[in-house]
Amino acid sequence: MSRSRVVKGKNTRGGLKRFTISMQRKLAVLFGLVLLAFTVLGIRLFLINRDNGQIYKMQVLSQQAYENQTIPYKRGKIMDCKGTVLADSQLVYNVIVDSKAILQKDVYLEPTLDALESLGINRDRIREFITNHPASQYYIALKNLSYQNRKEYLEKVEAGIAQEVKNKVPAAERRYSNIKGIWFESGYSRFYPHGELACTVLGFSGSGNVGTCGLEEYYNDTLNGIAGRRYGYLDEGLNMEQTTIEATDGNNLVLTLDANIQSIVQKHLSAFDEEWKNVDHPGNGSNNTACIVMDVNSGDILAMAGTPFYNPNQPSDLAALVGMPKLDATDSPTDGYLTYKDILVMSDEDKPRYLNALWSNFCISEAFEPGSTAKPFTVAAGLETGTVKTDELHFCPGYKYVDEFEIKCHNRDGDGWVTVGQAIESSCNVALMEMAEEIGKENFTKFQNIFNFGLRTGIDLADEARTDSFVSDSTMANSMLATNAFGQNFDATMIQMISGFCSLINGGNYYEPHIVRKVTSANGTTLKTIEPRVLKKTVSEKTSEKIREYTIQVVEGRHGTGETARPAGYRIGGKTGTAETYPRGNNEYIVSFMGYAPAEDPQIAVYVVIDRPNYEYQDDATFATAVVRGIMQEVLPYMGFYMTEPVTDDEYEELEELGLAVTYTGDESPDKWEKKD
Amino acid sequence: MVSSIAGFFKRKFGNRRGLLDYSLLFIVLFLLSFGLVMLYSVSSYEAAVEYKGDAAYYLRRQMVFTVFGLILMAGVSLIPYTFWKKVSVLAYLMSVGLIVLVIPFGMEVNGAKRWIRIPGLPMQLQPAEVAKIGVIILSAMIVEKLGRRALATMRGFVFPMIPALIVAVMLWKITDNLSSAIIVVAIVFGMLFVACPDYGKFIAIAAVVAVAGVAIVWYIVNSADTGSMGFRGERVLAWLDPQQYAGGKGYQTIQALYAIGSGGVFGKGLGQSMQKLGFIPEAQNDMIFSIICEELGLFGAISIMLMFVLLLWRFMMIADNADDFYGAMLVVGVISHISVQVILNIAVVTNMIPNTGVTLPFFSYGGSSVFFLLSEIGIVLSVARGMSRNELAKYGE
Repeated sequence: MSRSRVVKGKNTRGGLKRFTISMQRKLAVLFGLVLLAFTVLGIRLFLINRDNGQIYKMQVLSQQAYENQTIPYKRGKIMDCKGTVLADSQLVYNVIVDSKAILQKDVYLEPTLDALESLGINRDRIREFITNHPASQYYIALKNLSYQNRKEYLEKVEAGIAQEVKNKVPAAERRYSNIKGIWFESGYSRFYPHGELACTVLGFSGSGNVGTCGLEEYYNDTLNGIAGRRYGYLDEGLNMEQTTIEATDGNNLVLTLDANIQSIVQKHLSAFDEEWKNVDHPGNGSNNTACIVMDVNSGDILAMAGTPFYNPNQPSDLAALVGMPKLDATDSPTDGYLTYKDILVMSDEDKPRYLNALWSNFCISEAFEPGSTAKPFTVAAGLETGTVKTDELHFCPGYKYVDEFEIKCHNRDGDGWVTVGQAIESSCNVALMEMAEEIGKENFTKFQNIFNFGLRTGIDLADEARTDSFVSDSTMANSMLATNAFGQNFDATMIQMISGFCSLINGGNYYEPHIVRKVTSANGTTLKTIEPRVLKKTVSEKTSEKIREYTIQVVEGRHGTGETARPAGYRIGGKTGTAETYPRGNNEYIVSFMGYAPAEDPQIAVYVVIDRPNYEYQDDATFATAVVRGIMQEVLPYMGFYMTEPVTDDEYEELEELGLAVTYTGDESPDKWEKKD
Repeated sequence: MVSSIAGFFKRKFGNRRGLLDYSLLFIVLFLLSFGLVMLYSVSSYEAAVEYKGDAAYYLRRQMVFTVFGLILMAGVSLIPYTFWKKVSVLAYLMSVGLIVLVIPFGMEVNGAKRWIRIPGLPMQLQPAEVAKIGVIILSAMIVEKLGRRALATMRGFVFPMIPALIVAVMLWKITDNLSSAIIVVAIVFGMLFVACPDYGKFIAIAAVVAVAGVAIVWYIVNSADTGSMGFRGERVLAWLDPQQYAGGKGYQTIQALYAIGSGGVFGKGLGQSMQKLGFIPEAQNDMIFSIICEELGLFGAISIMLMFVLLLWRFMMIADNADDFYGAMLVVGVISHISVQVILNIAVVTNMIPNTGVTLPFFSYGGSSVFFLLSEIGIVLSVARGMSRNELAKYGE
């Protein structure tokens, strides 16, 4: 292009007409200056890269750390045998506040505080936090906001913003658009839809998906899944690669436990507790009232509960402690009882001790002297070893001297001459002591072991007690053998007693008690089925038949101690128990009844233990028989067992009250013990 | 439609032949396309986050602005530039009026009231962009009218400066937009530098401005209470030591430096920036050059600067060969405008001057700046038509 110009026009008075050579030169200078500036900028770019390039590269990479996120998994559900959900995990959100984002502009603060307030967060608390921590970008303002609440909040804000944009609200006056620095972090929280139902069986799971007590603890790893991860990494070419590993949700448990039976049991235990609350002394109706319902022919736990109950949704709510016995330094119960006032002033060291007592599952964790419920075991050991004959007779004068001790019978006046069966029926201690003598220490301790006393049954629940230190060996004193024969001076747990008892009446099959039937994956596929497992053969069918015969007499016999346990319309068997607690002579007892039904073909066993009923005269097994009767009266029809026995008018009225009269089939031929379904 | 408009002007202002300056058009289209590619790369992450996965939100809008801007450019290029001389006072008054309109009708974006909503259109107008072109048109006319002798005097410098200063003060005080005010003054300063025959006063003024700048910085640094000086005082402190203010005013700067420094010679590759993933907020606006450095490296950054040099070189050619002084002055105004904006923008992202919001022509997101930038190119193309006629005349058409 030619730089020479055609001269045209003149520089007239009206102003400049031409872009002169000197101007072109100055324009070139200007261009040169611009070039110079560009050069300086280029050098600056080069220097930044040369001097700080490495550091800045690392800075950029280190800032990417936030890309490393954990994706929470969902802990598995716990369902009863019918699929009723007992424990579930819900998607919840933590509300996170970012002070820095809020403080970007003055107009953000108030609308954001309004928004937080609508989520139920105290605005003054947040205002104070933001003032004190202006640079904070992560503050958990609220935990466990429900999915629904979050959704409603987001919809409200979105609608608000749309409205503001539509109405052209000035920026400074916008309520919704100026909400800044609130975000939500998702997670799961454990939820027990039925509250107290099966609380000690389930246990609970708090933050971090760590199960405490019960199934939640025992099956913690099964229930937990594997957290996912979303992260970025850099490949060789420094390219950012995003990778997401989805979370694997935990597995579900399907129990043998039936929520309906469980709620019947808990209803009756609560009713007992209510009835006897504050009667003899301020406090609960008993220290513990506990019950196990078990399938005799499989070891399936159908229900398991013990008062006091607690709500696993709020396991640390101290209000549940009111009425529990005070604990001494060794965590043993004393005669004092907790009041509301005690709870208000409870020290931080005491709180976990009492809460542990509240959460503990009496049915498997507490060992106690079983008392006369041990008598069928002694007789079974005698019959099985042949040392006790079915036709032998014992004379009971009301006491027996063993070595230098005078040991009294249940009946202080003496039972007179009794057969083996009558000894069980009337719960005669003297006859049992004599039988134990016949059996001998060696055989007796051998059978204690066969019946698994003192050993863990292997039930799939956390914290099962092992009590073998409380069980005597063959070097024991004669008085020890004599008292062990009727269930004193050795300790067992409820689960040990009922598991052994089931084997006595079902033909000698000792089933491992269990509570989980199936493990299923998050999408419902069965991963594992737990079949009933026979651990050992305790007694022969012949012995078993005799024990059934004797224990039916406990309920039906003329001198039977368990008469009051019989539910209207049914034949049952069972054995009462009344055990003195330590120290002897304090007039405190653990009373119990271990029953089964139907009598001829036992299907379910119900064991109720009442630890120190709140009454002046505690040595009365009818506390327990009444509870068993109430439970059986409702559970047997529920399970589909036909009534086989005629009912009296009074009983019929009672059935009507319970709404169970329809299950009484009256004079129809009793097609015995067949389940309806 | 375009041809009928051209026909109208042909009838009105005589039959002006002339050719389109294809070299300039090519450079402009290249920069626009390159700008759109980079805008998409830089903005897609933030757009996807803010507009529910719509990664192309900013790109789509910018493409629409660009298409309309090109139509505007074509239209303006068909208007003989002498038309602007006739309407220069009117254009200036209109741009002043628009700034005043911000007071009642202004719309706040990011805390600054700099935009006017255009009824019926999903976009806003930034009066500052109108003011820049208005000042160029008016100043070119004033300088032409003053004449050579007057330009040699101080009066010849001060007089054309007055309308520019009025607009600058208005932009500063009404729209709180100091950077646009500086640009407006710099444009006229550049035009006068070319028009006035001497150097003395420009060197003197540059020296005074430099000394004043140093004094202000010295005052801010040694002042105990920086809070009373508002955000600009803090920006100066953040400029001097961005690490110290990395949590506040220095955040954007330090993140931009990280982006530039981590790019290396050839960058991380198109689309591979990590700093755009939320670390440099609104990177598609003022800080786009830092992401370009990160993705394309020094090579890409200097290539872009060379494209701007080429553009300015072509402008200079057009000015040198313009039909008359007024046309040349218009082009000089556009040269000043674009070079000042490019220099200030890159100076900000490299932390050579305190952080102030200056967009990078052809690259930064924004409707107003594309429209008026392309209008200015249209004016230059119009001047270039005259040039080509001269060229043809020279060879005896």
